[in-house]
Amino acid sequence: MLIKQGKKGLDKKFERIPLEDQPGPKSQEEMDEMKMPYEEYCRKVFDVGNEFVKPTALKGIRWLSTTMYIFTPHSVTNLAELGAEVIKIEMPRMGDPMRHTSPFNEAYVYPLHDTRPMTGTGVACFNANVNEYYISMDYHREEIKEAFYTLVRMSDGLTQCYRPGTFDRWKQSYRYLQEINPRFISVWGGGFGYGPKIWGGSYDILGQAHAGLASITGFHEDFGGHPTKSTNWNIDWYSGTQITVAILAALLWRRKTGLGTKIEFSQVQASTRCLEYGVPLYGRFGIVRQRWGNWDTQLCVHGIIICGKSDYPNDKNPQLRDEARYVMVSAFNDPDFKELCNVIKRPDLYEKYKTHKQRVEAEAQVEIYHELEKWAADKSRSEVTRILKDAGLLAMPVYNDKEVYESPHFRQRGTVRWQADPWYGDAVVHSTYSAGLMSKTPRRKFWDLRPVGGDNVKIYHELLGIPLSTIKEWYEKTII
Amino acid sequence: MCDIIWCKKVKEDGTVCNTVNYLDPFNFWNWEGTIACAECGTVYYIHMIQGWMYRGPEEQPPGTKPDILPVYADKPLEGYVRYRPGVEGRTRPYLCLPRDIYLGVPDPRRFSIRGYPVRGWPNQPPSTGIAGSAGFKWEIEKLSPEVWQEFLEKKKKGEVRDW
Repeated sequence: MLIKQGKKGLDKKFERIPLEDQPGPKSQEEMDEMKMPYEEYCRKVFDVGNEFVKPTALKGIRWLSTTMYIFTPHSVTNLAELGAEVIKIEMPRMGDPMRHTSPFNEAYVYPLHDTRPMTGTGVACFNANVNEYYISMDYHREEIKEAFYTLVRMSDGLTQCYRPGTFDRWKQSYRYLQEINPRFISVWGGGFGYGPKIWGGSYDILGQAHAGLASITGFHEDFGGHPTKSTNWNIDWYSGTQITVAILAALLWRRKTGLGTKIEFSQVQASTRCLEYGVPLYGRFGIVRQRWGNWDTQLCVHGIIICGKSDYPNDKNPQLRDEARYVMVSAFNDPDFKELCNVIKRPDLYEKYKTHKQRVEAEAQVEIYHELEKWAADKSRSEVTRILKDAGLLAMPVYNDKEVYESPHFRQRGTVRWQADPWYGDAVVHSTYSAGLMSKTPRRKFWDLRPVGGDNVKIYHELLGIPLSTIKEWYEKTII
Repeated sequence: MCDIIWCKKVKEDGTVCNTVNYLDPFNFWNWEGTIACAECGTVYYIHMIQGWMYRGPEEQPPGTKPDILPVYADKPLEGYVRYRPGVEGRTRPYLCLPRDIYLGVPDPRRFSIRGYPVRGWPNQPPSTGIAGSAGFKWEIEKLSPEVWQEFLEKKKKGEVRDW
């Protein structure tokens, strides 16, 4: 019989352990779950596409976002996807410059604002500001200061991306805001942070270049390569997520101490975190790490090769017609490498480079990859993938956006899916689930974007209680 | 970065036009044709390849009809005198329209690739709320009934897919 010592342990009183405290399933449903195959269990607990019936982890947190572009907005959109109420503050009638930025400075969804019916928003804004309420505010105007401070009093924190000291000059920085709300968490995200380069702005390419990341990305000059930036702004997305981690830690700290925090986040600093062994290597030996492109300095074969034929030879889009020719191949341990050499009919290569230590050397890699590409020269990408997979080796095509969209794996897990944005209509989206599945409090997306100032009445009137006549006056004076 | 046509045409009153007509790279990156000066209307022939002025600007005889107008022009020697986008007969409106892959043809979308409506074209009706406040939902049946009808027809024809 299951027994445990009572609360008054010394009186030697024994009692039954309540059912809910006993290990194991507590209900028929839980019992069924335990008997399920793991795959089926995952599908049931994550229940992709049905996230709206579940609770949110950050419900009750209110955050202000005075951010622009991708880097700092993404730090806040993470909170909004997890259930925080986020108020995005934009410049009146203009909005976040990201709306006008890309791709190719062209607009794809309309309208932007009542005063600009012919102007729209670029789709690059999508996924960076989801689930947020959009208000407009010109901080320079005295009339709006009180509303800003009231929002601070009612909120848990703020993320901003203005140049260091700008919010301080406007009396909106941490040291001013903590006076009116000691629990307030104030985040600055930007290029360099305090230090000799304090005035440097922040761009993704700057993060990639200044942090040393671009210098080890791309092929070496000996192979015709150059330091390369990633085409998309992945350091913006990455650094934004790093800020979210800091915010969540600050929220926990506040729960323990009741006090807010100032978070200062330099983008160029954040991306040094990706430098891997480069910095310690320099510290130990004074050696500067070299670029090694699509190959790997630690493993061979473990890289991307080019095939001779495209999978879409007749497509009008050059990205498909000419570029769908790359395959990632991995066969670095001895039996796999032996099999790979047999497949490409070069068993002598295996004899030459029998140990991994031999084949990971630079000269060996040059020869091995050259032979692999020679073998693939008369084959398409899918042929190469099929042949290698049939031989039990790891090979995957380098996917483009079309193939990511069509991937059944991504579709089943909700990574890529169609969702009707309530304001802008049908859109294929890749946020929320791409940041991980959560069984109890999954991320969710209600909407992607709203027009500039689309929630002015909701926030200024319904939340702050400002009379509609004042709101109208502010609007006419372009204060909001 | 864009190229310009600095019009040096001497006008009837003897003054020099001195207007800078901006050739935005989105339209003129690969482009051949005639363009009119926003100030004096002088027509120039240009041929641009990969953003580089391969031929021109060559002044055309008076009366030549221009293929296009600049989107923006200004007179830097006269302070802040400028022609913003959409001045009738001088500059063309900047519609901010996405184009079919760089063919120079505007391609505003009303439907996504799976056939559902998207709000992808200007000029959208203004919001009904105060201070630019927008409702939660795009009431397509009310605001864009023609697109809604087109959608229903597409649906009937089986042109609307899940993916």
